Amino acid sequence: MAAGPPTAVLALRGICVRGRERPRLEDVDLSLGPGERVALLGASGAGKSTLLAVANGLLAPAAGTVLWEGQAPARSRRGRRRQQARIGTLWQDLRLIEELTVQQNLNAARLARWGWPRALLNLLLPLDTDACAAALRAMDLDPALLEQPVTALSGGQRQRVAMARLLRQEPTLLLADEPLASLDPRLAGELLALLLAQAAAPRALLLSLHRPDLLDGFDRAVGLKDGRVLFDGPVGQVSEALLADLYGGTPPCETP
Amino acid sequence: MRDTLKPAAPLLMLLPALVLVPLAVLLPPLLHGGGWELIGSFALAAVTPSLDPVVLASLLKGLGVTVGMALLGWAGSLVLGLLLGVASSRTVWRTLTGSGVPAELIRRLLALPRAIHELIWGLLLLQLVGLQPAVAVLAIALPFGALVARVLSDLLDALPTTGLEALRAAGAPAPAALLTALGPALLPGVLSYGGYRLECALRSATLLGVFGLGGLGTDLKLTLQSLQFHELWSGLWLLLAVMLALEAGISLLRRRWLVPGRFVLARRGVGERSREMLLALAALLPLCALVGRGLGVDPAALLNWQPLPGLGGGDWATTAALPWPRLVGGTLLLTVLAACLAVGLAPLLLLVVAPVGWARQGLRLLWALGRLWPPPLTALLLLFVLQPGVITAALALGFHNLGVLGRLLLESVDATDPAAEEAMACGGSGPRLALLYGRFSALARPYLAYGAYRADVILRESVVVGLVGATGLGSQLLESLSSFAWDQLLALVAVYALLTLAGEDLSDRARHRWLRAA
Repeated sequence: MAAGPPTAVLALRGICVRGRERPRLEDVDLSLGPGERVALLGASGAGKSTLLAVANGLLAPAAGTVLWEGQAPARSRRGRRRQQARIGTLWQDLRLIEELTVQQNLNAARLARWGWPRALLNLLLPLDTDACAAALRAMDLDPALLEQPVTALSGGQRQRVAMARLLRQEPTLLLADEPLASLDPRLAGELLALLLAQAAAPRALLLSLHRPDLLDGFDRAVGLKDGRVLFDGPVGQVSEALLADLYGGTPPCETP
Repeated sequence: MRDTLKPAAPLLMLLPALVLVPLAVLLPPLLHGGGWELIGSFALAAVTPSLDPVVLASLLKGLGVTVGMALLGWAGSLVLGLLLGVASSRTVWRTLTGSGVPAELIRRLLALPRAIHELIWGLLLLQLVGLQPAVAVLAIALPFGALVARVLSDLLDALPTTGLEALRAAGAPAPAALLTALGPALLPGVLSYGGYRLECALRSATLLGVFGLGGLGTDLKLTLQSLQFHELWSGLWLLLAVMLALEAGISLLRRRWLVPGRFVLARRGVGERSREMLLALAALLPLCALVGRGLGVDPAALLNWQPLPGLGGGDWATTAALPWPRLVGGTLLLTVLAACLAVGLAPLLLLVVAPVGWARQGLRLLWALGRLWPPPLTALLLLFVLQPGVITAALALGFHNLGVLGRLLLESVDATDPAAEEAMACGGSGPRLALLYGRFSALARPYLAYGAYRADVILRESVVVGLVGATGLGSQLLESLSSFAWDQLLALVAVYALLTLAGEDLSDRARHRWLRAA
C-alpha cells in the first residue's frame, strides 16, 4: 500500500527492525485512518509485538518513517511527550501500579497532561472522581471500586480497570498487544466489544490477535508473516487459505 | 471526597524530604563569613590530588593499616557472631536442652555490646589498654560480633525445624543433627550478611582512625586540619578505589554464589557452591594471621590494663547535674534530622536527575564519597562555613547515610521490573513522574522499612559527630572522656545504650508495620 493520507492517525512506511538472526520487521507499510479498527494477525514471532512497539514509540525502527497524525516523532522532549500522550497502549500484563488505588491508577493516565502539583495531590487525595467514575462505568464496572487498591480486584476487573485507564488518557490511537490471550472466551468477547466501542472516529484501534474467530467487529485485518505484511484488506477477505498460510499450516488456535 | 488524607506509597517516600523546609530557614543564620575560599580550594583539590611519591607512600601505608584493621575486626566479629549467634538461638537450645530460656537470656545480654557504637568501644579500650593496633580491631569485633549474632540467631530461628526433628527422631546426636539440618541452609544468608559487614568494617576502621586509632583515617584528619587538601584527596581517591573494589567484589561473589541481597535474608536454599564458600572462609584464617603479624597485633599486650583513674569515688552529684534533658533532646533531634535527610534526599535526588542519563553516574560517585568519607571529617569541613551545633552535625551524618541509602535505593531501582515505568513513559509522562509512579510505588515500603533500620543506626552513630560540639550526648561523652570523668562516662554510655535499645525496638516495630502493609 502507498503512503496513507495526511490525516492518518498512524502511518508506517518502509519500517525495518533488525533482529539478532533475521530482521524482525522488513519494509512494513501500514496506515490507520480515523475510526478504523484493524486487527493484526500472525503466528508467534511474526513481528506483531515489534510492530506495536514501533507504533507506540517504544522502539525506533532501523529504517522507515513513523507518522502520528501526520507528524514525525518530535525532536524536542516536550513535543515528543505530547505525541506519546495521544497514544494509548493496552499492555498484555496490564501494567497497573499495584500499590495504588483504582482511582490513582486511572488518574495516572492523566500525568502527561498534569503538572507536578496535581501529580503529587493524586497520591494524597481522590482527584477527578466524576471523570474516573465515568470511565469505570463505560467499562461496566461499579464506581464504588474507585477507592479499592488494585490488588483487591479480580482478574476480569483488573482488565477492565486497565481499559478504563486507557479511556482516561483520551488517546487518538489505541494499541493493544494480544489483550485477550489469557481470558476465557466469553470474557474475551465482552471486553473486545467494549474496546471496539471505544474506537470511534477520530480514534483508531490496532489490536494484535491470536484468534481469527474474533474478527467480526473489525474493519480491516493485517496479516504478518516473518516480519513482512502478507495481507492487508477488509476482514471479509480473510480466507481459510490465507490463515493457513499465515500460521504456516498449523491451526491458528484451538477454537473452543 | 474522603476527608482523611492518606498518602500513597510513592508519596510516603518523599515525605522525609520535607525536613528541607525547616533547614532552609534555620541554615542561613548559622552561616558565618569565614571559609568559603577554604571550601572552594577543598573542592578544587578533588581534581588535583597530590601525586608526590612520598605522600602517596605514606597514604598507602595508612590505607594498608586501615584495611588490615577492618579485615581483622571483621573476621573477629564473624567468629564471635557465629559462636554467640548459635548460643542465642532458641532452636539450638531447645534441641540441646529442651528449653529456649537460656537463648532469650543471652540475646538480652548481647543487646548491650550491640547498642554501643564501635567508636565508644574504641575510646574506652584506648583508655584501658593504651594505643595499640588491637584496640581498633577489638572495637570493631565486639559490637559487630553482637550484631552478627543477632542476625544469625534470627535466621536460625526462622528456619523450619522439620528436617532437624526428622534427624533427631532417627537417633542422630543433637549437635550433628543441628549442623546437618541447619548449617547448609544458613550459609548463604551468613555469607551475604557477612559481606555487607565487611563493607561496614572498612568504613568503621577509617572512622576509628579519625579519632586517633591509626591508619588512613588519622592521615585524613591531619591533612584536613593542616589544610593540605591535595594530599587529603589523594587519600580519599585511594580509599574510594579500595571501597568500590571491595563492594564490587562482594556483589560478584554474592551473584556467583546465588545468595540473596542485603536484608533479604529470609530466602533459603542450599548454595550449590558450598564447598567453594567454605574454602574461601578457610583461606581467611592464614590471611588474618598474616595481616595481624603485619600490623603488629599482640594479644598479650591487651592484658596490660592501665589503672583506671578515680573510678571508686565518683562525683555523682556533678554527673546528675549534667543537663540531661538537653543532651538527650539534642541527640534525638540530631538523629531525626539526619535520618530524614538521608531517607528523603535519596529518592528526591534520583527524581531530580531522572531526565539526564549520565547524572545518575554522578550521583553514584557522590554517594560513594558520602559512604567512605567519615562524618566527623564532613563536620569539620562544614565548620569552615557553619557554626557548630546539631544542624551542622546532622548535615554531616545525613550525608554519610545518604551514601548508604542512596546506593541501596539505586540497586533496588535497577532490580525492579521496568514495565510500569515504561508504560507511563509510553503514555507521555515525563521521566520524573514515570519514575515516581512506575518504580517508586513498588519500592516505597521496603525502602522505608530499611530507612527505619537506618534511623536506628544513625542514633547509635550520632556520637561520631560529637566533636562538632553542642550535639547532645555525643559531645558530652567526648568531653567527659578527655577529662577522664569516668563517672560521667559510665552514665553517658548507659543512657546512650538505653536510647539505642529503645530506638531499636521502635525501628523494629516501624519496619514490621511497613512490611506488613506491603
